[in-house]
Amino acid sequence: MTTSRRRGDLTSPPIEQELRLPALQVRQGPNRILYSFAVDGKELPRFATVSRIRRDTDAGIQGYQRPEVLSHITSIRKYLESEDPMIPNAIVIAFDKRVLFEPSGPADAYACPGTLVIPIDDQGADADKPGWVVDGQQRCAAIREARVESFPICVTAFITESDAEQRSQFILVNSTKPLPKGLIYELLPSTVGALPVALQVRRFPATLLEHLNYDSDSPLQSLIQTPTTPEGVIKDNSILRMLENSLSDGALYPYRYAGTGEGDVDSMLAMIKDFWTAVRDTFPSAWALPPRRSRLMHGVGIIGMGYLMDAIGDRYAHIRTPTVDDFRYELDEIADVCEWTSGTWRFAPDHHRKWNDLQNTPGDIRLLSNYILGEYRVQTMGRRVRRQQRA
Amino acid sequence: MKFFFPDSQDQIDPSFDFISEERSIYRVRQRDDHYAHEALRASPFDGLLVSKAIVDGLPGAAGKYTAPQRQRLYRVGVRDFFRLDERHDRRLETMGDCGAFTYVRDDVPPYTADEVVDFYEGCGFDLGISIDHVILGYDKTADTDASHPHRDGWQQRQQITLELAAEFRSRARARKARFTPVGVAQGWSPTSYAASVSALQKIGYSRVAMGGMVPLKTPDILACLEAVNVVRKSSTQLHLLGISRCENVEAFAANGVTSFDSTSAFRQSFKDDHDNYYALDRNYSALRVPQVDGNPKLKARIRAGQVSQAQAIKLERQCLQAVRRYDTGTVTIETVLELLREYDQLCDGRKDRTASYQQTLEAQLWRDCQCGLCESAGIEIALFRGSERNKRRGFHNLHVFRQRLARELEGTAA
Ligand SMILES: [Zn+2]
Repeated sequence: MTTSRRRGDLTSPPIEQELRLPALQVRQGPNRILYSFAVDGKELPRFATVSRIRRDTDAGIQGYQRPEVLSHITSIRKYLESEDPMIPNAIVIAFDKRVLFEPSGPADAYACPGTLVIPIDDQGADADKPGWVVDGQQRCAAIREARVESFPICVTAFITESDAEQRSQFILVNSTKPLPKGLIYELLPSTVGALPVALQVRRFPATLLEHLNYDSDSPLQSLIQTPTTPEGVIKDNSILRMLENSLSDGALYPYRYAGTGEGDVDSMLAMIKDFWTAVRDTFPSAWALPPRRSRLMHGVGIIGMGYLMDAIGDRYAHIRTPTVDDFRYELDEIADVCEWTSGTWRFAPDHHRKWNDLQNTPGDIRLLSNYILGEYRVQTMGRRVRRQQRA
Repeated sequence: MKFFFPDSQDQIDPSFDFISEERSIYRVRQRDDHYAHEALRASPFDGLLVSKAIVDGLPGAAGKYTAPQRQRLYRVGVRDFFRLDERHDRRLETMGDCGAFTYVRDDVPPYTADEVVDFYEGCGFDLGISIDHVILGYDKTADTDASHPHRDGWQQRQQITLELAAEFRSRARARKARFTPVGVAQGWSPTSYAASVSALQKIGYSRVAMGGMVPLKTPDILACLEAVNVVRKSSTQLHLLGISRCENVEAFAANGVTSFDSTSAFRQSFKDDHDNYYALDRNYSALRVPQVDGNPKLKARIRAGQVSQAQAIKLERQCLQAVRRYDTGTVTIETVLELLREYDQLCDGRKDRTASYQQTLEAQLWRDCQCGLCESAGIEIALFRGSERNKRRGFHNLHVFRQRLARELEGTAA
């Protein structure tokens, strides 16, 4: 096997320093020994490095790690700089045989306390460090970059001279399945503290969703499908998108607090609940059915109707927040052209689509939204003209 | 002479921090962002040109707007959406068009006259340009040579454009649309452009946009305008689509041009290799300090293990630090130039930009510029790096372009 490492090389300079860390030796099997210890993450680069994947001059594979993902590191770094961060999962390091364990106490069946002795050479090249990071290179980089004094981190280590073994451990720890999105969304509202940005901005919409699904005065109570409400008919993601659209560009935007990503929950919920109550009253036969039997409960219907809520909210913005009655009155304008459960949508004289021929695609969502809003505009414009004619 | 700026959803995020390179995580795109007419001390343009293709996309291709943004534009109208009335120094005009270059490869334009009237009326534009079909080519011989290979195709496109112009105007009138309709002249020669303008006047247009002239050389544009001038009624106003060429503005004006639109000053800030930082009398080169994570070439070389990521990050940081220290007078110009050269070698290394960088660093344009962004961004605006800096420099370029225009127009009746 080719190796560019010069480990235990007799010509290397004598080791000047060593790090002595209290550690626990864990016997996992007859030939498997792990070490568990804590170390300041800022110290890690002194004795461990990352084995970058590359080809050597003979085209042999070297190393196994991809480059640092800077956006991912930034996200972890921000979390580390937030108040009271915690990283409970351990970084995994493979040590070479220069690292020693000195037992100091009685060993039971599988664990033995002691001291791990790690040689340090601050002048040495990266490739001469005794440790390789098998799992946690992004976390290590984030700790290195973070504007914090120190950050102690748990480490699990094993000792091996074999590249191949490191590689298989690397693949094992990195090929686990990510959490299902729905579970994350359901957990979000009851989290505190910093999260990765993409999730942090979703926390508020997820909180609104939770209220809509579990408040007793919500027309959507138990209708949104989540891991704990599997009988729900509306996809959680459809509701989240409807809410996010309105929060950024629609009727909920005025109630948001710009600095915190949160908002006036009561006012927002009042508007959303009133609107969907009016939708339920206007389309009773399309309500609470599974999406395959009602396009109103389908992503296409939820998102399209969300835009209508925004349009009605805008129309009433300088008069009052629309009430259930207001919403019902406005929904009446378009009720006749909706074909949620049967019939044919007449988008244009030469463009008809069977009621269930609408899918949850951007194109179809747009087609339906434009149609509903166009009809609504025409109807309300007609109403203005009729009113003017009467006057 | 009015200058319209074509919108392409180019805004800057005021929450962006140059040092940490971070922004507010709760920023809402477009709403919390600033357009050039909001970010600069004075609006650099007289109006906005908004194209249906950018808002709505084409069949099968999304536009530049998110679906919620598009719906809001339709609900609140173009003035509210672009917050045009929040500037009180003067009224900014709005012009709608179809974005003919986006469907130039199609046989026929993808929109009907009614759809376009809907768009202009729904959004509340002041001016609405009829649907046109761009002629890609300029050759006088096609006027007379019946065997010219493109003659039929060009004539057909001109015909389509004129027919749509007639239909567009009559639909707008029948629906009592409130915007002023603008016809489009397409041609391949002075004579054909003149024929288009004369046909459009017959249809009833008193405002005509000259289309398809972007690739033309300046003398050819002038030749067309002169031919048009022969048939042009004195009341007919011309708009030049996509033409900036400041130095000819006087000649344009003399031939009935009262407005034009162009993105070039803005786009040059991140598209041009050299002339990407404007001063009144010449252009300078912005200093390239690409993000290690944002430069595709460098990223690929890092992924392949050919370049050390740690080394690249180190050089990138040293460049940023040196540039800032140069601005505060604690680092010499030679040090900055050396570091920039070293990093450039690592990223690209094809040419040595040291000489032009030296001029940029010595000119220190950001120090006395009154645009409104140079003061707040300082030397950061001179960095070719990421869209927040590049767009700020683009806005600065618009500001300078406006001043160049004013200087050209001095002495002529603008
Ligand atoms: Zn400036």
